[in-house]
Amino acid sequence: MKFGVFFEISVPRPWGPETEYTVYQNCLEQARLADELGFDQAWAVEHHFLEEYSHCSAPEIFLTAIAMQTKQIRVGHGIVTCVPELNSPIRAAERGAVLDLVSGGRLEFGTGRSATWTELGGFGANPDETKKTWDEYVRVIPKMWTQDRFSWQGRAFSMPERSVLPKPYQKPHPPMWVAVTSVGTEIDAAERGLGSLGLSFGGVGEQAQKIAGYRKRIQSCDPVGEFVNEQVNTVSFLYCHEDDAKGITTGQRMAGTFNYLSEQTLATRQAFPTPSYLSPGLLYQLRQESTSGPEGRVPEGLTIGDPHRVAQAVARWEEAGVDRINFLLNVHEMVPQEDVLASMRLFAKEVMPQFQRDEAPEPAGATAAGGA
Amino acid sequence: MPLTGTRDLSTIADSAPLLTSLDTEEWELKGAQHLQIHYELGGDREALLPPALHPSIPPTLLINVTHVPDSEVGAFTFATVRVGCRAGARPRGLLVKGYCDSAAAASVLRERWGLPLNVADVHLDPSYARATTSVTLDGATILAGELVDPQPITGADVQYMATLALARVARDGEETLLLQVDPDYTFDRAQRGRAWLTAFDAEAWNLPGASAAHPISASLTTVDMTLPRLRYLIHPDRDPLKAVERLPQPQPA
Repeated sequence: MKFGVFFEISVPRPWGPETEYTVYQNCLEQARLADELGFDQAWAVEHHFLEEYSHCSAPEIFLTAIAMQTKQIRVGHGIVTCVPELNSPIRAAERGAVLDLVSGGRLEFGTGRSATWTELGGFGANPDETKKTWDEYVRVIPKMWTQDRFSWQGRAFSMPERSVLPKPYQKPHPPMWVAVTSVGTEIDAAERGLGSLGLSFGGVGEQAQKIAGYRKRIQSCDPVGEFVNEQVNTVSFLYCHEDDAKGITTGQRMAGTFNYLSEQTLATRQAFPTPSYLSPGLLYQLRQESTSGPEGRVPEGLTIGDPHRVAQAVARWEEAGVDRINFLLNVHEMVPQEDVLASMRLFAKEVMPQFQRDEAPEPAGATAAGGA
Repeated sequence: MPLTGTRDLSTIADSAPLLTSLDTEEWELKGAQHLQIHYELGGDREALLPPALHPSIPPTLLINVTHVPDSEVGAFTFATVRVGCRAGARPRGLLVKGYCDSAAAASVLRERWGLPLNVADVHLDPSYARATTSVTLDGATILAGELVDPQPITGADVQYMATLALARVARDGEETLLLQVDPDYTFDRAQRGRAWLTAFDAEAWNLPGASAAHPISASLTTVDMTLPRLRYLIHPDRDPLKAVERLPQPQPA
């Protein structure tokens, strides 16, 4: 089991001249500490226009900043939106390669398609098309990274023969992932030999079923890249405190606030009837399940409370087959920065060592060029 | 905390329905045709909503026109223009004024569900190439729009937001409240197309300053629609987290 941190970068109103600056600086400080404490990965979302919920619209720049101030921690796009109106696949490949080079081969490349009309509509994208364009992107980007010269005639885009430069530092290319929120996307990931980047905050039992299906299907996959990245990441909230009750109360406030903010955005299905997106209630229900336990109990798998309780939750994820947990450390700046850092330190001191008996599998086939 | 509205709805409640009981029975309306035209909203989003509601991101305008071919008060067609919003974390549409072509139907919908409907000429005309709608009040067109190029989808692809209807309720004195009306729908047919509005008089819908800024989608469905018992209401001037009141429901026999 390995551990990562996950940045949505939520910015509470009122927005003064220093607000976004302060939130970004806090996140960078958290990333530095995560590196020092032995967290394995730092992921950042790509979101646009999501007021307060997420101001992380240029994750490649934020992740570059993290890479430049850390030594070991891997940097993850969680995710690059694979929709032409938001990102050209050529630019996505180029930016990913540069980030991999400047970070010394530490890039994890997540892919997805956005779930909100707020974002898709803002860019004039057609929700009917996003699953198709995502599928095309994940097939062409590894080719752009590995082929000397590349050309393409496709549905999402076409290009005459060019050399897409630079090439990533990791060879043959960085590990690739798919954001898994909708039911069935884990199978999409498995069929293409891609890592499963769980983002739904689903309960352990529900995710265990998905993981089993993913593990089974990926055995007979047709990988879109040069290697199969059989790994499962999940995401949870982290608030670890010596006082169990304080840890639980604070953690549940974080989770509740996160849900509340996310529901202010306009889900694609609420605005644009399409079979391409599942019911908008699903994600909410999953999050509710994972953040609101029955009869006031802490939901299974929610990593909040004292170190003992948090370790139990991690163990439950491990049993379910998860390779990594990525933690949301704060929401809406509701937890003071010094308390966030204390939570990270306590987790690293008391919980992390309990799970370092086994190393999670390294990304199959991906090595830094200067390495193996 | 997300943005909240600033509008004092009591200032426009005079023409809203006055309910003396919230204990209403269901009403099933079979074979209704339902057009929804969804636009992004222009204008001051907070000024259109009361403090109990958050504007969605982005705020939207929901135009719904329903033709009921047969009912206990005969055939009727009614139109509403709602502001897409959030009651806490729940998606809702705020309705402060609508129109119905039948005085009898308008009376039922006002008295039992608090829908703030006035009488006007309301038309819904579906064809294979488009579905058009218009609302005319005292000779003036206050709404005209259409769904263009309908394509078949399934009813499962369609989601309708529950309505929060502006009403006055006599309990321990008269209160201005928002009644949640969330019909059940059984879909027989569904189509999606492009949305297009050619007329929208915001003042006539009691949404001063609102504009239909950017088309999102339009859908046309054939549904069996059941207007439900009232289960929730919202106190419009309260904090969003303290605004919802659950109404007592009859105990199962």
